[in-house]
This record gives sequence, structure tokens and C-alpha cells, in this order.
Amino acid sequence: MTATSMRDVVVAGGGLLGWSAAAALRRKLPALRVTVLPLAPPPDALADRIGSTLPSIIEFHRDLGMNDGDALLRAGCSFRLGTEFDGWNADRPAYVHAYDRYGQPFGTASFHIHWVRQAKQGAAAPFDAYSPAAQMARAGRFVLPDVDPESPLAHFEFGLALDPVRYPAMMRAYALHLGTIERPAGLASVNLRDDGFIDSLALDDGSSLSADLFVDCTGPRALLRGELDQNFEDWSGWLPCDRLLFADAAPTADLSPLDRCFAHGAGWRWVAQSPARTTHGLTYASRDLGDDEAARTLRRFASADPQTPVAIRQGRRPEPWLRNCVALGDAATMIEPLEWTNLHLAHSAIDRLVAMMPDRGCAPVELWDYNRQCAAETDRVRDFLALHYVASRRDEPFWRRAREATPPPSLTHTLALFEERGRLPFYEEETFSRDSWLAVLLGQGRTPRRVDPLIETVPAAQSDRAMAEMRGVLTRLVSSLPTHGDFMIHLQRQAAR
Amino acid sequence: MAARRVVIVGGGTAGWMTAAALAKLLPGQCHVHLIESEAIGIVGVGEATLPHIRAFNERLGIDEADFMASTRATFKLGIEFVNWGRIGDSYIHPFGTFGPGTGAVDFHQFWLRLRQQGVAVPELDHFSMACTMARMNRFALPSRDSRRLDSTFGYAYQFDATLYGPYLRKIAERMGARRTEGRIVAVHRNPDNGDIASVQLENGERIEGDLFVDCSGFVSLLLGKALDEPFQDWSKWLLADRAVAMPCRTEGPVTPYTGVIAMPHGWRWRIPLQHRTGNGYVFSSQFLSEDEAATALQDAVEGEKIAEPRVLRFQAGRRARSWVHNCVGVGLASGFLEPLESTSIYLIQAAITALLELFPADRISPIDRDEFNRVIDLEYDRVRDFLILHYHATERTDSPFWNYVRTMEIPDSLSEKLELFRRRGRVVKYREGVFLDASWVAVYLGQRVIPQGHDMRADAPSAESLVAGMRKLSGEIQSIAGNMEDHAAYLQRYCPMKEAA
Repeated sequence: MTATSMRDVVVAGGGLLGWSAAAALRRKLPALRVTVLPLAPPPDALADRIGSTLPSIIEFHRDLGMNDGDALLRAGCSFRLGTEFDGWNADRPAYVHAYDRYGQPFGTASFHIHWVRQAKQGAAAPFDAYSPAAQMARAGRFVLPDVDPESPLAHFEFGLALDPVRYPAMMRAYALHLGTIERPAGLASVNLRDDGFIDSLALDDGSSLSADLFVDCTGPRALLRGELDQNFEDWSGWLPCDRLLFADAAPTADLSPLDRCFAHGAGWRWVAQSPARTTHGLTYASRDLGDDEAARTLRRFASADPQTPVAIRQGRRPEPWLRNCVALGDAATMIEPLEWTNLHLAHSAIDRLVAMMPDRGCAPVELWDYNRQCAAETDRVRDFLALHYVASRRDEPFWRRAREATPPPSLTHTLALFEERGRLPFYEEETFSRDSWLAVLLGQGRTPRRVDPLIETVPAAQSDRAMAEMRGVLTRLVSSLPTHGDFMIHLQRQAAR
Repeated sequence: MAARRVVIVGGGTAGWMTAAALAKLLPGQCHVHLIESEAIGIVGVGEATLPHIRAFNERLGIDEADFMASTRATFKLGIEFVNWGRIGDSYIHPFGTFGPGTGAVDFHQFWLRLRQQGVAVPELDHFSMACTMARMNRFALPSRDSRRLDSTFGYAYQFDATLYGPYLRKIAERMGARRTEGRIVAVHRNPDNGDIASVQLENGERIEGDLFVDCSGFVSLLLGKALDEPFQDWSKWLLADRAVAMPCRTEGPVTPYTGVIAMPHGWRWRIPLQHRTGNGYVFSSQFLSEDEAATALQDAVEGEKIAEPRVLRFQAGRRARSWVHNCVGVGLASGFLEPLESTSIYLIQAAITALLELFPADRISPIDRDEFNRVIDLEYDRVRDFLILHYHATERTDSPFWNYVRTMEIPDSLSEKLELFRRRGRVVKYREGVFLDASWVAVYLGQRVIPQGHDMRADAPSAESLVAGMRKLSGEIQSIAGNMEDHAAYLQRYCPMKEAA
């Protein structure tokens, strides 16, 4: 610690994101004094609102010292293995994107090359038939990954379905336990210094709150960061939806670990289950679907009343961190919940903030590196989401336009390489694995122009036999596993003992 | 699908590495035909390598001990840099981590924190398995159990490059590669599309191909001469354009590391093989004549010389593109970076790996070709920055050469990296780059780029617990290395060289 070290941090935002940021800062940088201004997250703060999370949340919890599966059970979490995409290519069956390997490589080529060769010859089982977690998810079953590295169930990852009330409450309690200070008040205004840094926050009780660093978790309006500049990179050309509609229904008994996303005429609809509720959602473009019609549609599927529609403007801030204010979550990036990246991006930014914490002066070169990494990560997430649209096949005008839009250059490069010979380029800060990209590409019916010659040392008949055997092993294995619901009951019993 | 006719122009390390890899890994898809001329000879002056070469050899099914015996190889745990930051300085760039290599916060951050607090802690290389083994001249193969300290280092080889080519030639020919002896006098291009159609030998024979691999060395016979691909000159940052090389008898221990000693106008290598030590002085002809360099080298080497000094001329930079039309440049034909960090064979390997992955089938796809060039450009650019760092991060003021490099303008990509390290010891992450974090840390600190601050996460543990942990760690490393065999004895047991055939 030196005279110039960061001391005081204010986190604005009282949703799960604000409390998660505070907990991480206190846990890993105990020299910081962390104060939370618990402003209620607005309805369009998706990182706070979307309950389905990616596997990175497990690592985030572990870093916080929350290894206790118990606490997560008590906070109402359940497991999720992946997402099923239905109707994105009208001519193909639904496919599952799970967080697992798809097949095992053999011979000199990656597994998907074998699959592509077989598909070109006419008779391939679905690509997700080779992913243990995808098969588990389809069957509604769940176990934790096997510790034996030889087991087919050793490599998958899983995310969590979060409880909208109990999970943020747990995170708040944990952050307070770690010594976070809570300052319940509303925000009146933001006071800037002459050099453009934030000096303090004026609160609605007449007091003020000053700090060295301000962390903005207030949602898309970015009540703090927005005072410094309003620069925004718009993604609506690639991600055409601008409305979200939610409807919560009662939980169901089967508690599927698989979320489902159905393409519809002007966007997509999802169903996600957790112990507390079944969430139904509709994402759509207002240009193609009116709010009333959208509400009728969602009500029909959800058998519950939709809430007020939420308008979203997809894109990101070029510099989430400027001077002494860093925007997290929707204050930094606004992106539709497809593939559930909202909280993931926020967690990743929290990790980065902790790892790169500068001195009070917030030297531009350090912020530049932070912003560079955030940009690289966020843009590839955008590409992955845009891929779902570019690689779609449906006839409605919405989908035709989405398919015909020129993708971002990095996605164009990815598609060109893939469509030549099934190769995928590797970018810095990539969130989704090669298998994830393949699951979507092959699942939506994109195939390479030709089969990579590296495979030719393995005759097709030998591939076919090996692949049939992999499927057989998985089918037998999965049928022996407990259902997700039974597994949760088993965990609860264990915890009770 | 018809097999592709691949014509490799030039033997030597690049040519035979390419031939062996294509013949072995793409059987039935290509007919490999290599043309070389014994009259031309090869550059090979004794090679130090990076750990990546082990994966290459493994892929070709090469037995390590047999390969080492045949090329008179020694093990290499890193590079010792002498006189770089200041005259009298010495540090080792190790193949491996500092500290146990686990945990979210890099080990050197805790070390920085203690030093900045004024706590006396030993130099960072006491916490590196590879550095410690190197300083003690010990060797053992690393453990595969990542929980153990003796898994925290990697290794490469130092070998006689004039023997590696012939060794690979046997593998290539066994897998069906053809070799033709002859000098190429003309390159014929297809008038329709500009592709290379054939190369013509002195005796009039024309050899046709679908794909040509240019391994002709600096002359860049196909890529540079026939296709006229422009050369990007990097000599404003990397001034060295000459080397004098001279082998001598080994005096003293056979070190499991390469020596790189800064000289008044460049640097000198010292590569111990089983039967001799390779030496060379890499310098800038702007500041030193070839004769002066030869004299300086002869004065500096330890053992009796085995051959007269030999001069090599080169220029730092690369061809704008490495793959143009149906011609792929591999090795010196595509670019040159001085061997300061032993990257020559690595860059050959990177090109071969990319070529295998993007090998053309029915026709050459521009998408594959562009991707190859993108990948190779990245490799060259990253190595370039790392090399420039060695010259620029110095306090030496004893010659016009060092004054120039110390004060020259450097690429933005490097100044950002330097600035971030100076602030709090951060290494800009590059997942695909050849040099990992520990390499950058070793060179920064070894050349006196000292951070002002550190990662704030390193403040969490108490100073006492850190000091105790570090003492235990360096003690364990000392004791593990101390129980290892002497490097020379290990070689004698594991892979004694074969008598010259």
C-alpha cells in the first residue's frame, strides 16, 4: 500500500450485480473500503434480471470463497446444462448447445471433421448426440461432473438458474459479511471535479458520498458513467431485436436443466425453469411485431400475464472505464439474453477490475488495457449471438433481413474459414469454446464446403464404427443417471444431514 | 481427389522439416519432391530451439534419445543473458514458471510487493526450477504431475543443425518423399493465373508441381525473386545484419542453457553441443567491420577454435505475405529474425503447422491462404516486439550501437507493453503468442525494467506468511535441483552421440 493506492470505492446499484461487485472487491482487495449505494435495478438491467447463467458463475463463486453448494441450494439455485434451439433453421430439428465436448477427437483430425464427412455422405446422427451434457439435458437428467478424467462425464460444465429474490439477498448478506458498507439512499446528482473525474455523489437525503473510484451498476442508463460521456457503439444492424417481454409462471415439477429458445416470426421466445418459477420471455423487433401482439403471443405460451415490455438498445460503450468511473453490466453493454451472456460479461468485468485495480490516478494506459480486453471479449460475444441470426433459415422478413445483413468483420472471417474446411479462428478473450461455435454452426445446418484432408488417414468406415460406439456409450450412460429434480432432492437431503 | 504434387525448393532445416511433416502427416494426399543442391550448402550454424520443437518431433514419431544422439544434442532449460541491462548483469530467461505456476495472481506480484515494502527477498530466479537447474548444471526430464515443482519447467534442445536436416531426410524418404539433386536456373509461371508451373534445373529438367514450398533461404528464390513479394524491412529496430560464426572445443561444463552475451555492437551466442560449442557474434555493419567482429569473437571464446570464422549476411524483416499464388515460403525465404531468442526453427514449425492445417485440396482457396498469412504475420510481429525489448531496455551507454537502440523509437505495441509493466508488473496477455508471461517477466526484470507498483491482490496475505512461503519454496527448488544428475552425465547415459558416419 502506498499513498497513491486506491482506498475508497463506491458501487452504485443494489441488485445482484452491485452486491456481487462489492463482495468480489472486498474479498480480493481487503484494503479497499467499499460502499454500496443500493439503487434498485431498473427493469431493463438484464445482468440483474436474467436468471439463466453460464458456467463462469461457478468459477466466480469459487473465487469468492463460496464453495458451499449448500448456500446455493438455500438461495434457490438449480442447475442448467445448456439451451435447446428450435426452429432457427426451419428445415432442421432442434439442437442443443451444451457446455461440453462434442465427440472425442481420433486419428489426426478433430471430431467434427469426422462428423462433417459422415454428414456429407448422407447419414449422420445429430451433432449433439455426441455431447454427453447435451444428451443429459435432453433427458432431463443431471449429475455433477465425474472426477475421473477418463469418464465421458468428466468434461462438461454447467451454469445455474438463479432465484430472483433469494440469490441477490444472499449476495448482499455475503458482501456485508465481508465488510461492505451499505448506504441506503437515492441518487440526486453526480458532482464532477474540474479534471472531469467524479468527485462525489449527491444523495437524496442531502448528504454526499465521495470515493476514489465509482463502479456503475445502475443498468443501461448508467447514472454515473453516463455523466462522463454518452459514446455508444450500436449493434442493431446485427442484433435486430429491441424489445423484451417477460412472464413468470409457477414452477413445474420436472425442473428441466435445459432452457428452450424457439424462433418466431420476429425474434425468439424462451422458457427457463428454476425452483421458484418458470420464466417465459419474448425477444422481438418492434418493427415486425407490435407490443400488443407480442403480449398475446407470450400469454398464450406462458399461461401467465406478461409484464410491461422493456425496450433495449443493443451495443456497448467503447470505453466502459473512463477516468475514475467504471461501468459494469448493462451500463457497459446492452445485449439481448440469447445464450445468457449478460451476467457472464459483468462477472468477467468484475474479475478484470479486481485484477487490474490501478492507483487513484487511474492512469490512461491501465484503463486502455482494461477497455481493450473488455472490447475483445464483448465483441466476440456479440459475434456469437449474431451467428444465430446469420446462420438462420426462415422465410419471414425479419429473418431474411437478419440473414442478409453483413456480419461484423470478425464474424465474417469466422464464417469464411469455417465454410471453407471447418476450421475456426481463435480470438483473444473468447467466451465460447470451439465446441460451442460448432454446436450452433452445425446445429443450424451450416457445413464446410469440403472435408479437411487431415482426416484421410482414417477410413470412413472406421469413423462410422467409432462414432456409433460413442453414441451407444452415451445412451447407456445417460439412462442410468438421476433426473435433475431427483438430484436436487438428493442434494437437499445430503445438506440436511 | 488427386494427390497434390508438392515441390520443396531447398534442403536444410526448413526444407527437410517441411518434407518430413507433409510426407508423414498427409500420406496419400501429396507427393513430396524436394530439390536441393549440395553445392549451395546451408546456413546451419548450430541451433538452439524452443520447447515447441518437442511437439513437432513427437508428431513425426521421433524417439528423443535417438534424435539427440544423432544430432549431438544437449538439453536447454533457457537462455542466460549477460551484460544486457548493464555490463556485469546476468539473468536467465527460463522455460518454465516463477513460483509454482498456480493461483490467480502471478508469483512475481508477491515478490514485487515485498521488494517494494523493503523486505529483503532473493532474486526472482531462485523461485524458478529451470533457472536453478541451469545455474547448477543439472538436468532431469520434467514430471507430468502438475502438482509437483519438478513439473514447472520445460526444455528444448541445442543441436547441430547440419545433422537435423539429414535426420529428417531419412524419415521423409522412408515415407515416400523424392529428392533431386540440382540447382534451379529458371522458374516458369502459368501465364493464365500467375501460379508457378514448374522449376527448371541446370540440366534442363523441368519439375512441375501444384504447390511450391520455398525453403531456399535468404535468396528467396520463388517468393522473393520469381513472385517479387515485397520485403518489409525491420532494420530500424533490429540493426544487426551480420554474424560471424566459429565453433570451438568445449571448455568447462556443458551447460543446459544457451549463452547470449551482449557485446559492444551486438551480441554473441554460445551454444554447447555434445562435441563442441557453437559461437557467433551478431552485429551491425554500421558500427563494426566483419574483420573487427571476427577478431572480437576469437578474443571472446573460451575454447580452442575448430574452424575459421565464417560470415553470414542478413536483414531483419519478412515478406509482406508468406503464401502468394501457389507458393508458400517457409523459414528464411519468408523472413528473418535474429536468433537472439532461438525463434528460427520455431517460425519454421509455425509455418508448417499452419500449412498442414490449411493444406489445399482440389484448388488453393484464397480464404485458406489469407488465414495462413494472418497466422504467420502474428507470429512474426510478436517475436519482433520481444526481440526489440532486449535491445531497448538497457542502461548501456558504452557504444554508439547501444546509444542508438536505447533511445530509438519503438513500435506502439511494445511501448504499451513496457508502460504497463512499469506501472504494476502487468504482462499484456497473448494467448497464442509463443512467449508466455514468465518470459516477458524474466526479460523485463532482468533488464531493469522495475515496476513502480504491483497487483493489489498481492497485498492480501501478510508479509510474514509470504516470506516464509518463499523461503520454503526456494529451499524445495534447491533441494530438488540438487538431487538431479549433472547435465553432462545425464546426456552420457541418455543419448551419447554417435560417431560420425
